[in-house]
This record gives sequence, C-alpha cells and structure tokens, in this order.
Amino acid sequence: MSNAKKNWVWFILIMLLILGAGLYLGKSRRTELGRSFDYSLDDYRKVDPALIRYQELDPIVPAISNLTALALAPENWMYEGSQWVVVGGEKQAQLLPDGVVLDIEGTPSCLAVGDDGFLYAGFRDHIKVFDPKADWKHTRWEVPSEKVHLTSIAVDEWYVYVADAGSRRIWRYRKEGGDPLEIGKKDWAKGIRGFFIPSPFFDVAISRSDGSLWAVNPGHHALENYRPDGMPLSAWEASSMMIDGFSGCCNPSHFALMPDGAFVTTEKGLPRVKIHNQDGELRCVVAAPDQFDDGVTGLDVAADDNGRIYVLDPSRNQVRIFEEKK
Amino acid sequence: MKPERKKDRRDFVRGAAAVLIGGAVMSAARSRSPRLVWQLDPEKCTQCGRCATHCVLAPSAVKCFHSYSICGYCDLCGGYLRPDAKSRDTGAENQLCPTAAITRTFIESPYYQYTIDEDLCIGCGICVKGCDVFGNGSMYMQVKHDLCVNCNECAIARSCPSDAFKRVPASDPYILKSDRERRIS
Repeated sequence: MSNAKKNWVWFILIMLLILGAGLYLGKSRRTELGRSFDYSLDDYRKVDPALIRYQELDPIVPAISNLTALALAPENWMYEGSQWVVVGGEKQAQLLPDGVVLDIEGTPSCLAVGDDGFLYAGFRDHIKVFDPKADWKHTRWEVPSEKVHLTSIAVDEWYVYVADAGSRRIWRYRKEGGDPLEIGKKDWAKGIRGFFIPSPFFDVAISRSDGSLWAVNPGHHALENYRPDGMPLSAWEASSMMIDGFSGCCNPSHFALMPDGAFVTTEKGLPRVKIHNQDGELRCVVAAPDQFDDGVTGLDVAADDNGRIYVLDPSRNQVRIFEEKK
Repeated sequence: MKPERKKDRRDFVRGAAAVLIGGAVMSAARSRSPRLVWQLDPEKCTQCGRCATHCVLAPSAVKCFHSYSICGYCDLCGGYLRPDAKSRDTGAENQLCPTAAITRTFIESPYYQYTIDEDLCIGCGICVKGCDVFGNGSMYMQVKHDLCVNCNECAIARSCPSDAFKRVPASDPYILKSDRERRIS
C-alpha cells in the first residue's frame, strides 16, 4: 500500500473516531436535571380537610376593576339593615350593596370606615378623608416621609393609624388631621425592634376588645400589639412552612380581628386564609391554597361582627365570603 | 430561431456595475441593521430548568442575576433556603441551590445579603422559583454575553416551553428587572 493510501486510511479512521466520540458525548449529555433540582410546594398546598371549618358563600362581584382594597363599614352606615362593604380599585371605590361608585382620583391601597361615618382612603403617598354627608367631599392628609408607601389604614374612636411600608412606620393621625405621631421606630430601650418589611405588605387593625393597635411585622412573621402612644404591649410570632405558621419573606400579608379577638390572616406565596387564637395558636383554616389562583397576592381581609370573613381576591376581581360551617 | 447576441464590453461593464451596486446596497443594509443576540425575558420565564440542560455550553451561559434594589434582604429567603429547611443558616442541608452558588452574608439584624457565584451557577433556576413564590422576585435568569456563543439557532430557545427567548440588539443585550440596574448597565 502506498503512503498516500495509508494516509487516507488513517485520516478516515481518525475522522470516524472523532464523529463517534461526538455522537457519544452528544447522546450522553443529560437532558433532565436530577432530583435535587426539583422544587415542589405540593405538599405544603395540601391541608387536612378536618382543619377547614369554613365554607364559601356566593361572592360579591363589584362593578369596578383592578381591586386593591377592602373595608367593612359599621352596619348602619348609609341605611339600616345592611352589612356595608367598600372596595377600592382603579381610580374608583364602590359601596356595596347599593353599588354607588365614587370617583376618588387615584387607586387606593387601603380603605377604612370610621364609626363617625367618614371613609378613609390611603393612597401610595397620601390619605383622603371622604365625608358622606357632604357629597363625598374630601380633605387630604400628607405623610411626613420621603419613602412613603401606604399599605393599610385603621380607625378607632380617637385616631387614624396608617401603615407605611416604605418608611417602616405607623403614622397616628388625630381625626382632624395635622402632624402625625410616629410609631415603630427602632428603640431597644423601649423594647421596640422596629418593623422588618421586605415588600409592601404591612397591615394594621384595631382590637375590638380594648381598642389597642395590632400590626403585622411581616419579616418576622409576627403580630405585635401597641398602645396608642406607640409603646409595645405584646406580640406573637409563628414562622413555619407548615400550616401552623407563616412562610416566605412577608407574611401574613393581611389580617383582621375576629369578634372574639382571634386573628384571621391571609398569606402570599402559599395563598391561604387561617384563624389564629389570641396567643397565636392555629385554630382552623378558612380557605386552603387550592381555593385560590396561583401567585395571587393582595388578599385583603375583613371580618364582620358575626364572624363572617370577607377576602378580596384581586385575581378574580371578587370579594369572597366565608362562613363557619354549622 | 433568435440569433444569439454576442456579448460585448458594454454588457460586461453593465453586469459588473450591477454586482458592485448590489453588493454595496446589501452591505449598507447589513451595517444599518443592528447585531442581535439571544436574551431571556424574565417576565416569561417559568424556570423549567432547560437553560441548564439544553445550552451547547456546559455549564450553561444562562445564569441567575440578582437585583439588589428589589431584594428584601430577608433572613428567611425563599431563594436561598429550602422550603423544608430545618434552620435559617448556611448549612448545606438548608440551602436550596444544589450547587451552592448563592452566598449568604449577614449585614445587620435582621438583614442578609445574597450573592450569586457565577462560576458555580448552572442556570437551573430553582432559586428564581423560590424567590418568585415567597420573595420579591429579585432573582431572575439572564443569558451572560461574555459566555454565550450566540448560536444562530439557540438550543435553549428551541426547547423553551414559554417562548421566553428572543433576539435583542447587542448594544442593549440584557433585560434587567430594575431601573437602577438598567442605569448602571
């Protein structure tokens, strides 16, 4: 065999070898990641049916879109015999059941109705107080902070408390407005650890029994109780991926107080509604994660005097109502 | 039968001129259209894991990006800790990332900073999923253009179930989540 032929044979053999190696390596590349790359929350979405002690009633479907806020009004707010629900959405608010739509010039992030009948609406950086007896004319309150991002509002007999996730403070206004008092500034001497708010979910509510202020400290998965002057009274926290606690970086995202002082909480991440006793122990589940659309956030919640629970569901644009099973 | 016309010098010049003008027009058009590169739209990405397995490079040219301006610096970070983590620390059994590509650094109580080690990240997106579900969504996937070989037909784009891959101008090759990052880039 001539040298030229030998060279050609060698060349063809080497090329076949390279081709074979290429094919082998190409086929042996993994096409799927191993088990350690699995991420499933299915186990955490399951809830023991025995824990679910509430049933869902027909929802309220407001006429306005992009719902962002929910509030319950005193029973005889406009006229007697009705449970009044106020919802806020894109540049509007609607009063239910009569369906009146108010043009409120901005999208409210939170709403509250005081015993005095005024409607308090928190927007990103200011508050508007609407007077139903004066054709819904409003006054505007400013917040003394550059980082302001209002997320919740609660009203008691004397004060209006506004949760500001941007500044990590609660601002306490007098009913007539004016300069607010700052609540929640870190002060170890007074036992105030400050609010840890990684994302804009920061809710406040007034205790029905003693009128004190309750606030979520979402980064700590805690609910904290304050006097009107900002001094801490008590707190409980429950950090857990399991049903008895709160998971993720900012939960509970919203809460309300039940007539007996228990807490009804809603969460993001794993959307669920639960009731915790006054000491933080889980009492029951109102709605399990599979009752909500995936990824839903902003489940604002309220409870009426009969223990019926109202949950704002922005993904379905509804107010969903839950009642304890008989 | 049509008599065959003899090609003369004028025909040759005409042909040559046509070729020259055509070439000039084509090259001008080409220089005017921007060079395109592949990028991943974080809004469409579903973290299916194919970025890690389908890239022609190993490890993949797709990496996790972290937007510090969106991050909540949480102690209980959904992108760093496994959902069933026994404790909130740097123990390997608690870490969500299988390649330990995320570093957790204490800043001040209760804040922690999370940094992506690009050399260890294989683009599986598991941290992005955890951050999306429980956090602010500050972690997201991007094609790193110092690594990407910009295949004409991107193997990941071909298999992407959410159609998240698209061509973007090479002059603006990243789809960043926050305005601050966009300004820096």
